[in-house]
Amino acid sequence: MKTAFAALPAACRCDAARFAIGGAQPGVALRPESAGEAAAVLVACSRSGFALVPWGGGVALSHESSPPPRYDVALDLGGLRRITTYDPDDFTVTAECGIPLAELRATLAAHGQELPIEAAAAATLGGALAANASGARRRALGSPRDRILGARFLTGDGELVRTGGRVVKNVAGHAVHRLLVGSRGGLGVFVEASLKLPPQPPARGLVVHGADAGLVADATRWSGLSRLEPAALTVLGPDAASLHPAFATGAPVTVITGFEGDPAWVDACIGRIVERLGAPVSVRRDAEVPPLWAALADAGEHPGPRLTFATADSAPPAIASLLLHPTGARLVFHAPAGRLILWPGPAGLEGLARGLESSGFSLIEQRGAGIDTPVPPAAVLGLRARIAEALDPAGTMAYGPRWRAGR
Amino acid sequence: MVISPSALDELRALLGEDGVLSANASRFAYEADAMTLERATPDVVVLPRSTDEVGAVVRWAMAHGLAVTPRGAGTGLAGGCTCEQGGVSLSVNRMDRVLAVDAERMLAWVQPGLVNLWLSQQLAPRGLHFAPDPASQQVSTIGGNVATNAGGPHCLKYGVTLNHILGITVVLAGGAAVTLGGEACDAPGFDLASVVIGSEGTLGIITEVCVRLLPVPEAVKTLLFDFDTIADACVTVTRVIAEGIVPAAMEIMDRYTVGLVEAWLHLGLPTDAAAVLLIEVDGPASALPAQAERIAAIARERHARTARVARDEVERAQLWRGRKSSYGAYGRSASGFYIMDGVVPRTRLAEAFANIYAIAGSRGLHAGNLCHAGDGNLHPHVLFDTNSPKQQADALEVSHEILRMCIRFGGTISGEHGIGSEKRSMMREMFEPRDLAVMERLRGAFDRDRRLNPGKVLPGGEAHAQTRGPAQLGGMAVRDDVQGSWT
Repeated sequence: MKTAFAALPAACRCDAARFAIGGAQPGVALRPESAGEAAAVLVACSRSGFALVPWGGGVALSHESSPPPRYDVALDLGGLRRITTYDPDDFTVTAECGIPLAELRATLAAHGQELPIEAAAAATLGGALAANASGARRRALGSPRDRILGARFLTGDGELVRTGGRVVKNVAGHAVHRLLVGSRGGLGVFVEASLKLPPQPPARGLVVHGADAGLVADATRWSGLSRLEPAALTVLGPDAASLHPAFATGAPVTVITGFEGDPAWVDACIGRIVERLGAPVSVRRDAEVPPLWAALADAGEHPGPRLTFATADSAPPAIASLLLHPTGARLVFHAPAGRLILWPGPAGLEGLARGLESSGFSLIEQRGAGIDTPVPPAAVLGLRARIAEALDPAGTMAYGPRWRAGR
Repeated sequence: MVISPSALDELRALLGEDGVLSANASRFAYEADAMTLERATPDVVVLPRSTDEVGAVVRWAMAHGLAVTPRGAGTGLAGGCTCEQGGVSLSVNRMDRVLAVDAERMLAWVQPGLVNLWLSQQLAPRGLHFAPDPASQQVSTIGGNVATNAGGPHCLKYGVTLNHILGITVVLAGGAAVTLGGEACDAPGFDLASVVIGSEGTLGIITEVCVRLLPVPEAVKTLLFDFDTIADACVTVTRVIAEGIVPAAMEIMDRYTVGLVEAWLHLGLPTDAAAVLLIEVDGPASALPAQAERIAAIARERHARTARVARDEVERAQLWRGRKSSYGAYGRSASGFYIMDGVVPRTRLAEAFANIYAIAGSRGLHAGNLCHAGDGNLHPHVLFDTNSPKQQADALEVSHEILRMCIRFGGTISGEHGIGSEKRSMMREMFEPRDLAVMERLRGAFDRDRRLNPGKVLPGGEAHAQTRGPAQLGGMAVRDDVQGSWT
């Protein structure tokens, strides 16, 4: 194995023990300092038949309970963390994908701009894109696929390619970079990405309510709220709420609503929410709010198995029955995007997942739970497999079998 | 290629007599989109009514070795739906229904032949609308909008078509129908829909669309400013957004364009200004007066000469009329004009305008400019005389030079019209061979035999094209390619 990477600088090698997945260590861990070096790693792997896992902040990988079928090489992208192009007046940024989101967010905030991707504090840009991460403000900020303008990425056989562009509108050619969003390290490696940025809103408001499952189940309270386009409407079970003092209401359920935009409008919306849900536990404004968004992005991060579902029903009643169940204690539901995150403990996961699937939730990701996401129709399965084959012909991506087998 | 009578009978059995057009006169109507520079007559035109019928057509075409090119309203400006390699022109015009609206969840399922504007008109009583509004929205279809990932003046605030599509049902090259995405924001697996959207009919034929709807804004305010320099107009655009105000639209018209519009419609626009800037803000009524005032203050700081604010819907329509009539104004002033689409970073807009004038001027041509300024999306219109082969050739060369400038400035060769056949050779200048190769790999994964809109988007298709018909923009042409009866 050592000879395969002889061409790389010795400084690229790092401690393989840090990159264990489900208890399995890779044979070698490499940390390239340039896109060219990263490409050389993939070329060497595809020639030698090694299986590779790209690593960002390890947010998802460190929670996996079992390793991929083959795991020879860890590719640590932490050496690729430069902001390549940032002219604030263009409201776009191009950065290398190993950059921690927190670092990128701080740079943009200094210019009054927002990073439109919400993910765990430890996440990198590439990791968040590969995981299709999104948080409480998904509906307001758009998903990563909505925000990514273009990217440079490595195919499984080590071709460094670029699709899309750096400007806010761009329809030239096939948007292969959008396929890598949510591909979870199975199709290729993000090296650099360009994002469309929003300005920071002139005003923010965040309202915390304590509630019970009955209030959440009362559809009339929630009907029409979507017309106000809340930046966030998140329901937390008590265990999830206890993670941050601002969310701890002492009630069985915590409901967090957020509004962003014109100050008078934010005030009016807060008024409407109080009218519907009663007296709030607290109302936070402006600079107090972004740290709470960050806390909320971390609310679903726990050791142990985790299930993420999506539903088209973006009102809180959709999850009322779950809140009456012990599982509901460890629940985060971002209503506007219909995203439900559960970390229920190791027992009965399969039954829980299949039960939720029968009530309109689809399992979109599982972490360390060892259960399958639903098998799509044969035509979709075939398409995924052909795409995986096209982008990674040598089968270098260790998580490629996920898509080749349709899992 | 001539399709045998028995093969046509098979097709009629699938779609009914009125679903198959095979007479010359009918086929000629489908030989081009709005870029009439390139024409190619399909061997047959089909008008399916459902996903199943589209699947049947695709299977029929594959069995007979024919290409299938989907077509919406044919308003595309890049030759995206010409049947260069003959085969089947698949028109979705009879698939024009709204299938379902869910007002509470703010989504709708529609067929691809539904005209963009009709959707918002049908939704208006429920206080909802579909945000993407390409200039062609009175005619163009949702299917065409999705296939080209269309934009429009209001995508500064609301984003492009991609951002408003939750799911699509697509007929793949083998004839199978699949639904990619769906009513939920996310689906398991990577996002196949996101790459079919904008693929110009090359990866699949869109037969149903689940669109995301937005509330109709409570109020709208439209302002019009004029400036002595284009640079001041451009800086105003940048400063407004930097303040945290994201207007719904920010449109620049240059002096040349304003002059043509005024000569025609006498709207009272200032013909001596270097640029007119139209800004529209929308949102809660309580928020707009302060926003409008702030915008006006920024414009004044950048030396705006006059400011007009529409007081009601009539005045608003009047302010927009100049912008929306530009196309007609160009048409009145020259026998031919070439509508371009390119993007530069917003901060380089003023420089881009200066370059466009210099490039056109160096060949003795005029280029008028309309621009979605907030997005850096340029639409130069290069005017020429269709009776002058030299001017026509010069116009094409000017367009290529302008696109090269967009690339040099860090922009792109198409912001919203697409690549089609028009710009595929420019793809070689925009991308490296290895970038194009990975796009080809993707294409192969969807359509191994290259039967869906073959030859489009990626370079290389030129070699196989058998474009027939006169290379001429506008006006009548002698049809020396027509053989046999017209009926």
